[in-house]
Amino acid sequence: MAKARAIIKRLKAVRNVRKITRTMELVATARFKKAMDRATQAAAYTKKMSEIVADLSEGLKNSGSSISHPLLQQRESEKKSILLVVTSNRGLCGGYNAAVLRHTQQRVRQAQADGVQLDVEVSGKRGIGFFKFKKLPTTASYTHFEDRVSFDEVDVLAKRFTEQFVRGEIDRLDVAYTRFVTMSRQIAVVETLLPIGKLVGAEPKAATKSKTEYEFLPSPQEILEEIVPASFKARLFKCFLDAAVSEQISRMVAMKSATENADGMIRVLRAQYNRARQSQITSELSEIIGGAAALE
Amino acid sequence: MSIGEKLRLVIVTPERTLFDEPVSALRFPLYDGDIGVLPGRLPLIGRLGSGELKVTAASGEQSFFIDGGFAQVQGSVISLLTHRALPAKDLSVAEAEKQLASADAKVAKGDVEVTAKLADQQRARRMLAVAKRSR
Repeated sequence: MAKARAIIKRLKAVRNVRKITRTMELVATARFKKAMDRATQAAAYTKKMSEIVADLSEGLKNSGSSISHPLLQQRESEKKSILLVVTSNRGLCGGYNAAVLRHTQQRVRQAQADGVQLDVEVSGKRGIGFFKFKKLPTTASYTHFEDRVSFDEVDVLAKRFTEQFVRGEIDRLDVAYTRFVTMSRQIAVVETLLPIGKLVGAEPKAATKSKTEYEFLPSPQEILEEIVPASFKARLFKCFLDAAVSEQISRMVAMKSATENADGMIRVLRAQYNRARQSQITSELSEIIGGAAALE
Repeated sequence: MSIGEKLRLVIVTPERTLFDEPVSALRFPLYDGDIGVLPGRLPLIGRLGSGELKVTAASGEQSFFIDGGFAQVQGSVISLLTHRALPAKDLSVAEAEKQLASADAKVAKGDVEVTAKLADQQRARRMLAVAKRSR
């Protein structure tokens, strides 16, 4: 009976694990939907913002001046920069954190090679743990960015970064995060947010859009001064939203495959158990028959 | 677009689209004072100040507190991009008073801090005014 009992024990353990992974999958699905809703709602802001920026640059072109703003200026030499690493607070989400951290390490090595002083700021317990394990220095760490990031929280960070950049304390800001492309595709990237390379994502197609003559209150230049930091904030916020969505997707996928794997194991263990039980019965029967034959 | 046609107001904050409904008129604060928009307004892009946004819709008057951002009037669609927009009925006088007190208590040194303090005070005062009016 010993072997069959041991198999039963394992079977129970696997079933319990399956229950947990299945539940986590469902939770991740629900959270993903919420995060996705937030991301799509926030996309409206970014879209409108780039629309206004496009109209604004059109207006500036007409008035003969060009777009210039401290946040847009490329620095000639890069002395100090900040890398913000966005990881998750919880594990069990497949290769999500590993991918972001791999890119982070690349950037850190590159900065060392270039002789740039790099301050690393980490968000998420997983990333913090990684840096502690690697004994790499970090200048700041945050754990309060969960999957429901509020704009106000990001605003605090964004304000500090823009101030540091304008004062010339940093020459560059990178963010390592997972960009959400589609449901089935999320890629870990290191993106340079400051200086803002291109204000307009893609040049608006003049053919599709009829040009409107806007009245600018106050002048386009003054609006620009306000809209550039705002669009930087929106971008940083989007990084966090993307990261939250991607995290839930990776967890969903990881837990789905874990559940499927548990299903497979249960099937194998069931078959093993049945076989063990049958062989036990057979041997017991033959013992009884053998015993009866000996009595005759 | 003919005059008399309805306007559509869209209020977008970084977190979500707060309001997207047809309206007949509205008034909102620009950086230097209030502006009223009626159907048939010429295209406009403006910087918002902080203060009260009053919307006249078919369902009656509605009031919001908005805090900075941008306005775009294009045809009959008015988009307001703002960092924060709160329905006036959600504002509390006590909260606004607290913010005003904290803005007053701030010690400002140098030009930048003084401007920031003045802006904070003004925002808090306007919030207080909106909160009081909506009660």
